[in-house]
Amino acid sequence: MIHHLLDALAMLGMSYVIGFLFYGFYRQFNARVQRRWGPSIWQNFFDNMKFLFKSETVSHGAMFFFGPMIIMAGAITTVLFVPFLKDSIWLQGFSQSGNLILIIYLLVVGPLGNALAVGSSGNPYGVMGVTRGLTRLMGLEVPFFLGLALVMLQHQSASVHVIMAAQDGIANWNLFTNPIAFIVMLLPFIASQNASPFDVVGAPVEVYAGPRVEFGGRLLGILMTQNMMMTVAKLVLIVDLFLGGATTVPILLVKAFALFLLTAMISLAFPRLKTEQTVDFFWKIPLALGVIGVIATVWLPWS
Amino acid sequence: MNLIVKLLFLALSLTPAMTLLTWDGGVAWPLFGGITLLFDLNPVPGFFLLLLALGAPLVALPMLRGPRDEPAYALYALLLLGMQLLLLAGDFIGFFVGWEIMTWSSYLLLLRSPRTNLEGAQSYILFNLASAFLLLAGMLVFYSFTGDFRIHAVTGLNTLQQLSLLTLFGLAFLIKVGALPLHLWVPRSYDQAPDVFSAFLSALMSKMGIYALILLLTLFPEGLAGLFGQFLKGPAAGYVLAWIGVITSIVATFKAISQEDMKRLLAYSSIAQVGYIVTAIGVGSSLAIGGALFHSLVHTLVKLLLFIAIAGIVLQTGHRRFIDLGQLIGRMPISFFGVLIGIIGLAGMPPLPGFASKYLIYVSLLEAHWLLLLAAMILSSTAAFVYCYKLIYGPFLGHANSPEARVATEAPWQYLVPQIVLMGLLVALGIFPGWAIEILIDPVLTALGMTPIGAPAWGQLATAYGGYDGVVLMSVFATVFVLVTAIFFLLRGRMRQAGSPYDLSYAGEVPTAETPLHYGAGLGRELRRIPLVGWILSHSTQGFYAGLVRQTQAAAGLLSGLYSGNPQTWILLAVLILAATLTVQTLTGA
Repeated sequence: MIHHLLDALAMLGMSYVIGFLFYGFYRQFNARVQRRWGPSIWQNFFDNMKFLFKSETVSHGAMFFFGPMIIMAGAITTVLFVPFLKDSIWLQGFSQSGNLILIIYLLVVGPLGNALAVGSSGNPYGVMGVTRGLTRLMGLEVPFFLGLALVMLQHQSASVHVIMAAQDGIANWNLFTNPIAFIVMLLPFIASQNASPFDVVGAPVEVYAGPRVEFGGRLLGILMTQNMMMTVAKLVLIVDLFLGGATTVPILLVKAFALFLLTAMISLAFPRLKTEQTVDFFWKIPLALGVIGVIATVWLPWS
Repeated sequence: MNLIVKLLFLALSLTPAMTLLTWDGGVAWPLFGGITLLFDLNPVPGFFLLLLALGAPLVALPMLRGPRDEPAYALYALLLLGMQLLLLAGDFIGFFVGWEIMTWSSYLLLLRSPRTNLEGAQSYILFNLASAFLLLAGMLVFYSFTGDFRIHAVTGLNTLQQLSLLTLFGLAFLIKVGALPLHLWVPRSYDQAPDVFSAFLSALMSKMGIYALILLLTLFPEGLAGLFGQFLKGPAAGYVLAWIGVITSIVATFKAISQEDMKRLLAYSSIAQVGYIVTAIGVGSSLAIGGALFHSLVHTLVKLLLFIAIAGIVLQTGHRRFIDLGQLIGRMPISFFGVLIGIIGLAGMPPLPGFASKYLIYVSLLEAHWLLLLAAMILSSTAAFVYCYKLIYGPFLGHANSPEARVATEAPWQYLVPQIVLMGLLVALGIFPGWAIEILIDPVLTALGMTPIGAPAWGQLATAYGGYDGVVLMSVFATVFVLVTAIFFLLRGRMRQAGSPYDLSYAGEVPTAETPLHYGAGLGRELRRIPLVGWILSHSTQGFYAGLVRQTQAAAGLLSGLYSGNPQTWILLAVLILAATLTVQTLTGA
């Protein structure tokens, strides 16, 4: 019991710290690419603390308040169901009681909680943002799931532990044994991280109001916190699935950072797409690649 | 008097439960010509009888509200009788009689709605009669092959015979479940039926089609695999059926998103959900059939809950369209929770059991190596989030858009009691998916001659691909939710309620009561800009049938080119053929 509690707290703390550091780095990186100075690497932490300690928060009814609580609970549950390390009793959370398909579904709890809260606020722009978000989700889930399904089929298991354990040694990483699955799910993964070029849902400048429009003060702080933690959970998940997982925390950090850097570079290189363009793109390029992957690895006789 | 009639009716609605609990031993009733009617309770129909036993009283309770309506009560009783006959029947005659009683009594109940128009009623009865006649033809063909009306495994048929039976029965039952393009009657009748009765149509009557489809598996012991062999690791014939199911669910999901009426949305969503079940039956492995049964159970509970909650809204406000409702969350909180739990189950979100059943179906598709089907199913089940959100946003959130929605009160208790029961059942099943597997589904699988799925504990769902623990999941989520909320309140700072509903961040303007702020009906309209969705939504099944008619007429036009128009030619031809036949017969000495 004590072990579970300490383990859970360690996972949450770790995902929070990595979260704001990675986001801080992203803002620096972004600024340098655009030849600005950019904020300090701690800036996201400062922003988050500022929001969390605001003295006044406006609420639009009970559901508006409980929405962020659902999102936060969903994010923490997700973090606790992703194993951070392999061959270790630490940083496991409750991952033995879950599996990959469950985690993919838990990732969606957040957007749905947000949708309820925004709907309750009565702001039509917020609801439009939610619709954009759900539409993008519909686009990205298909190739994302197909990519992960290829991995599940390769290892005959939906358990993250089994998939991680099968990748001993760099040559057995799924990144190398099943590269097509990695390519298929990479771009949808970037979209699920709410990163450019698929970030029109809550884009800060171009679109006046996204799903977060009515939130302020501590509720916005909660949303920001869960966003950073979710980002880390997803990164760790992909590290577990494709980069062989990690046995120690430093290795995990290096692998997660490498993956983050890759997605950040892709994000910075491309301009933002409209929602329908995003969906159409996902249903054409990554999905077509996925179909080719299925035909090549499942249908054809040599597989 | 009034009370007595109503209590009697309620007691009648408990008959499926009584049958389920007290049935012992089979009944054989000799008819003319050596044909015997057999009735017995086997595990497979027993599962569906359980659904009926659960659903019948929950639908009957809200039907009791308002003035006494004896004809409706009588027809409902008749309907229950027909469905029990159908489920208990051990031979096709009893099955057919039950099927017909069900069709006609539900048709007459449908006609009692003031909203039913000629088109809706006609399409309901025409499609269902077509289904019944296909069933009749199927059972006669079955009799001619086997010389027996009993429902039993048939062996020794050649491919052509199997195929003819499968086509006749399959079409009959696919009409009943509303697979594309045979679904035309579903949205019309679910939409026009009396509000509470729609729950029965969607939740229970569509399951009779599922039962019949699963019954087909008992007719052919080697199942779909015996017909055209294997495709990857599943049956090739099932692959076609699975695609029918998935395409049905994709198209119906996008149609559901574009609806402006709550009941029509739910009708299309029913088609989509039943599509998943058809897909699972197509996979045909024990895990898939388990998933199909589990999904039937979940869909029954969810659709009862949603249709009854929506019926309550329609009763209290008189409106059915999203654009006329809004902001009922404060005035109808229990209905709000009902719809919330319902859509979480419908969307298949963990920890509710919708996830467990979808999980079984996904894993069965993985095991069969049918990944493209899996991707297509993910498409429709993710797109379902949009209509689920529309269903809760339109009536309950946003701004009240009609005078009735501004003053509505909570639905009467007859509507709330079933909702609370169903919410409880859904949450319990979500925590204990293994219980449903062990107690409800494994006996059916054993009776079908398949390996039971099994569960290590009541809270756990286990498959060869791994599983999850519903108890851990639910307790982690609930604990975290409570802790987060508590910590939030412990932190410094206070919450302030917004001054008015128009206190919004609205593009630098201040909205007023005249500003159109409710986005209910428009939600999902933007999806048309996506080429594939736009294409699906710009085509209709009626267009498909019109195209079919045009093609048939064109083919007939080609054939009529052969006809010369001069009767003498035809008479000459007839005489010549007669002469030729006679000559041949004479020559061969026959």
